[in-house]
Amino acid sequence: MKASISPPADSVPPSADDAAWRLESIISRLLVAGTYLAMALILAGVLLTLAAGIDPLAHETAPAFELAAIPSQIAAGDPLGFLWLGLVAVLALPLGRVVVAGVGFLAARDLRLALVSLAVLLVVVGSIVAAIRLEG
Amino acid sequence: MIAGLVLLAGGSVVGLFGSLLGLGGGILLVPLLTLGFGRPLREAVAISLVSVIVTSSAGAGVYLRRHVANLRLGMVLELFTACGALVGGLVAFALPVPVLEGMFAALLAWVAVSMLRRREPPPAVSAGAGAEVIPAAEETGGVGVGVGVGAGVPVQPALAPAMVTGAAGQGGAITFAQPMSFAATLSGPGYLVGRLGLGAVGAVFAGVVSALLGVGGGIVKVPLMNLGMGVPLKVATATSNLMIGITATSSAVIYLLRDEIDPYIAGPVALGVFVGASVGARIVNRVDTRLLRLLFVVVLLVTAVQMALKAVGM
Repeated sequence: MKASISPPADSVPPSADDAAWRLESIISRLLVAGTYLAMALILAGVLLTLAAGIDPLAHETAPAFELAAIPSQIAAGDPLGFLWLGLVAVLALPLGRVVVAGVGFLAARDLRLALVSLAVLLVVVGSIVAAIRLEG
Repeated sequence: MIAGLVLLAGGSVVGLFGSLLGLGGGILLVPLLTLGFGRPLREAVAISLVSVIVTSSAGAGVYLRRHVANLRLGMVLELFTACGALVGGLVAFALPVPVLEGMFAALLAWVAVSMLRRREPPPAVSAGAGAEVIPAAEETGGVGVGVGVGAGVPVQPALAPAMVTGAAGQGGAITFAQPMSFAATLSGPGYLVGRLGLGAVGAVFAGVVSALLGVGGGIVKVPLMNLGMGVPLKVATATSNLMIGITATSSAVIYLLRDEIDPYIAGPVALGVFVGASVGARIVNRVDTRLLRLLFVVVLLVTAVQMALKAVGM
C-alpha cells in the first residue's frame, strides 16, 4: 500500500508569493535548458571541427562574425555555423532572462522593475551600437 | 585535431579547478590562453567572458529554482554593472595591452592573497572559498559550477521557502510601518537592503573590471552586497552569479562584433569549462580542497609574476 505523504509545511510557498516563485521557476528553466541547447550546438561544432581536421590554433585572425551567414553554414555542415549559433545562444540567454523577467514584472504591475529590465536591455543595445560604430 | 582536444581539456581543467576552489573561470582562463596558448590578451578576455556567461547561466538557473538569488536586487544592480561593462568593453580597445596585462597581474595577486587569508569553511557544507555558483550536483544534473570569488559560501539548499517568500514588497515577513524606499522593496527575508547608491557605484566598477579583464566580477560584487548593502553572504553570492550573465554579455557583444572572439577556440574552451565545472560540482563535497587551495595560491602568484613580466616586456 502506498503511503500518502504530505509535503512539509515549509515546502509550500504561500500564495502571496506564487507569482514571484513562478517567475523565478520559469527563468530557471529557461537558463538551464538554454545552456544545454547552447552546449549541444557548440559540441556539434567542435565535433565537426575535429572531423574536418581544422586546427583551431593554426590561423592568425579569428573568422569574422556574420549572423546572416549562419543558416547557410549550418545547412552546409560547416562547423563555423554551429559554433557561432552556440555562442550567440550563450550571449542571448541572459538577455532572454531579462525579457522574461521584464514581462513578469509588467504582469505583476511592478512598473519600476519592468522599467529597470527595459533599461538593462537598452544598455546591451547600446553596447551593440557602440561596437558597430567603432567597427565602422 | 590535437589542438582542439587540448583546448577542450584545458577548458575542462579550468572548469574543474574553478568549481573545486570557487574561483572564477576568467581568472584561470585568461592566463591559460595568453601564457599557455599564446593567444592575444583581448581574444583571451573575450573567450573568458563567453565561458563566464555559460557557467553563470547554468548556476543562476539552479539558484533561481532554489529561490536563493534575489532577482529584484540583481536586476537593479546589473543595470549598473552592464553600464560599467559597456564602458569597460570600449576602454579595453583603447588601453595598451601591457596596461591590461599589468592590471590582470595585480588581480591575480589580489585573489591569491584573498585565498590565503580566507577562513577555511567546513568541507562538508562548502564548495570551497567563495564559490559563486555552487549548486549541489544532484540538483543541477551536473550543470552546477563554481565561479567567482567571494567569501566562503555554504552549499546549503536554498533558503527555506517559508523564509524566502518573506521578501519585502511581496507580502513577506518584513513589515514596514512607513512607505518603503525603493531599496527596501529590494529586500529579502530577514534582511533589509541598504545603501543602494554605494551598490550602484560599486556595480559600475565591477562591470568595468569584468569587461577589461574577462572575469565575472564576483570579487567586487559579493563583498559589496554582503558588507556594504547588508545582503546575507549566500544571497549575495547567488545574486552576484545571476548578474554576471548580463554584465559579461554587455561587453562580450562588443568583442564579438569587433571579431575578437575566435569560435574555433571559444567553442571547445567554453564546452570544456562547462563539462569540467559540472564534474567539479559533483565531487566538490568529496574533495579536501585545503591542499589544493594552497597549491593554487602558488600557481596564481607565479602566474601573476609571469603576467607582470609580460606587461613590462620581459
